[in-house]
Amino acid sequence: MFNLKKTAISSLVALSTVLGGVASAETLSFVTWQRDDGAYGQWWAEAKAKFEEMHPGVTIDMSQLGRKEYADTMFTMFAGGTPPDIVHLAAFEYQPFADQGWLEPLGPWIEKDGIDLTGWAGQSTCEWKGETYCLMLLYAGFVLAYNEEMIKNAGFDGPPTTYDEYVEIARALTGDSDGDGIVDKYGIGLSTMEPATVMHQMQGFALDSGGNWTRDSKPIFDDPATIDGIRKWKSLMQEGLSPSQARSNDLRQLLIEGHVGMWIDGPWVASILDRASEEMRPKLKLAHSPLSPPLGGTSNILGMSSEISDERKALVWDFIKIVHSEEFQNKFSDYSGSPAPRPGMDYEDNIAANENFALFVEASQRAADAGVDRLPKGLELHNSELSKVVFEEAQRMLANDLDPAEVGATLQKRVEAFE
Amino acid sequence: MIDFSSPRHRHKLGYLLVAPALILMALIIVYPIVMSVDISFQDVKIARIGVDRKPWTFENYEWLFTSAKFYQSLWVTIKLLLVVGGAALAIGFATALLVNQKFKGRALARLLVALPWAVPEVVAVVIWAWMLDSSFGVLNWVLLSSGIVSKPIAFASDPVAAFASICFVMIWKGYPFICIMLLAGLQSIPEEQYQAASVDGANVFQRFLHVTIPNMLPVLGVAFIMTALWVFRDFAIIFVLTEGGPIGSTTSLAIMTFEESFKFFRMGQGSAVGVITLIICALLSRALVSRFAKSVN
Repeated sequence: MFNLKKTAISSLVALSTVLGGVASAETLSFVTWQRDDGAYGQWWAEAKAKFEEMHPGVTIDMSQLGRKEYADTMFTMFAGGTPPDIVHLAAFEYQPFADQGWLEPLGPWIEKDGIDLTGWAGQSTCEWKGETYCLMLLYAGFVLAYNEEMIKNAGFDGPPTTYDEYVEIARALTGDSDGDGIVDKYGIGLSTMEPATVMHQMQGFALDSGGNWTRDSKPIFDDPATIDGIRKWKSLMQEGLSPSQARSNDLRQLLIEGHVGMWIDGPWVASILDRASEEMRPKLKLAHSPLSPPLGGTSNILGMSSEISDERKALVWDFIKIVHSEEFQNKFSDYSGSPAPRPGMDYEDNIAANENFALFVEASQRAADAGVDRLPKGLELHNSELSKVVFEEAQRMLANDLDPAEVGATLQKRVEAFE
Repeated sequence: MIDFSSPRHRHKLGYLLVAPALILMALIIVYPIVMSVDISFQDVKIARIGVDRKPWTFENYEWLFTSAKFYQSLWVTIKLLLVVGGAALAIGFATALLVNQKFKGRALARLLVALPWAVPEVVAVVIWAWMLDSSFGVLNWVLLSSGIVSKPIAFASDPVAAFASICFVMIWKGYPFICIMLLAGLQSIPEEQYQAASVDGANVFQRFLHVTIPNMLPVLGVAFIMTALWVFRDFAIIFVLTEGGPIGSTTSLAIMTFEESFKFFRMGQGSAVGVITLIICALLSRALVSRFAKSVN
């Protein structure tokens, strides 16, 4: 009996010690789609390590989520009352979260620390209804990834610099390479399975024609220039210059395997080219997008949940400050191989070390100078529905061979009907 | 202290033992249904537990019953129910009859029949998505190589082909379950009935019609109800293969519920779709159960 009592007391003491230890330790939750994403993942890991070094006893629990189900899962987490402390979202999807009051306005925190975000690339997208809700992590201009060998074998000196050249080369590259009567090489890659990507890729052609999805925050889907962009997308698809049923990741894979000749993408495409085989890698190059201005815009943001304690908010803010610091903006450029949003950065070493870095800086500048953003201004809250509507009408256009002018008019009508 | 062994209190022990399961069911099944019904009557975009609720309104149902998208989704679901339910039942019954016969390799045949059911749904559908790829899929390669088609079939962008591919994968995934259920039913038919029918001069078709079918009706009924409910609620196959496209040709009520709630952040409207789906399923189950119960009597 004595032993039993002694054991019980000892167990209680041990339990209270363990629980006390747990209570004093703090863990911030951080969900991202980039943890396992090579260069970006390494950058996040370093930021996490730096934070933990500066805050002994506080750890960051970084979880990976697939990009496809990311927004839905985050939405469910917030709606269910269990949001992550550190909020990582795409720039085109954070607005409904801010609109719900789920994100902490960062204005007072920025003011308290006297942080100057003037010139921070794409930061204006973080403004929602007069408040700053996030820190922009990337503003990028799109570039062309291409298979140099395929283009040279087709009799061209180099990659296309205009839309017309792009089409001409795409036609020359598309065909049956092994003689079995089935097309196995495609000139270009255009996603046909992802609403957001279809909308963005179509927008790239609209921009090239002088149009866009919105102007002064008003939809202009029936603008002649926008319709011309829709026409370009349709003709490329109808000619069969791209695989007809593919997602972005499939097309990137087909590019690095030599089945797709040209693919327009953000600077992150560089890390995808690095995954190519030793034989393929030297053939894969980057150049400016043949579409002018290039598609581009804000990519992803960092913010904090408004539903956590003030102590946790202070910790999250410290993490955001680390990401914002010159040291980590430099590391971002080193790891990602693309310019960071922080203004006044010296990229001399990056340009010397990375043959594509100057290209990314210039592409980003070109897109910024033209005021390009993939996120249609004025339709931020309806972005998901908008991409679905554009996707549906694009599919209807191809299935029923509709006139792009008719499609533009239908899109305008459907978008104007948004609440 | 209650003596549960006494005749007076014995039934209480039964209730006590069943109580945890009932409470659990109420928490994980009844509570979400009640919540959905509640949300469906609120003009709310994003519903949150414990946050000020909005007053009840019929706005979501007014929107639903005037929405062309709802009727299209309902029609798609009915088509899926008829095609998938009918074909899966026919194939499941045929394979059950086949593997119920005595032949060499029967155990292996039964295993092969059950295989699609055993493969996790998402894994199977991702493999099918690759096989049905219009540019690099093996199915198009076979069809083109053999000259059956002159150009690739766009399984994800042609509305008819997309619907057909969804039906095909759903049938492939669903028929083994029906087969297993019906096989159990076939094995429970007394052999004496077949022997008696044979003695009376019944041939194989007559034995099937007058012995097998009547005995199997209750099992067939249950199998059909379960298939119908599965078609109504199945999400993964459609979502992975087509995401409800192209042009809504594969948008079932389940996909519409998801889209409204989690894509467009209109949970009130999404819940209204869910509630109507629930009512349709309940009515369908009730009607089928009554019908098969009567046929058994």
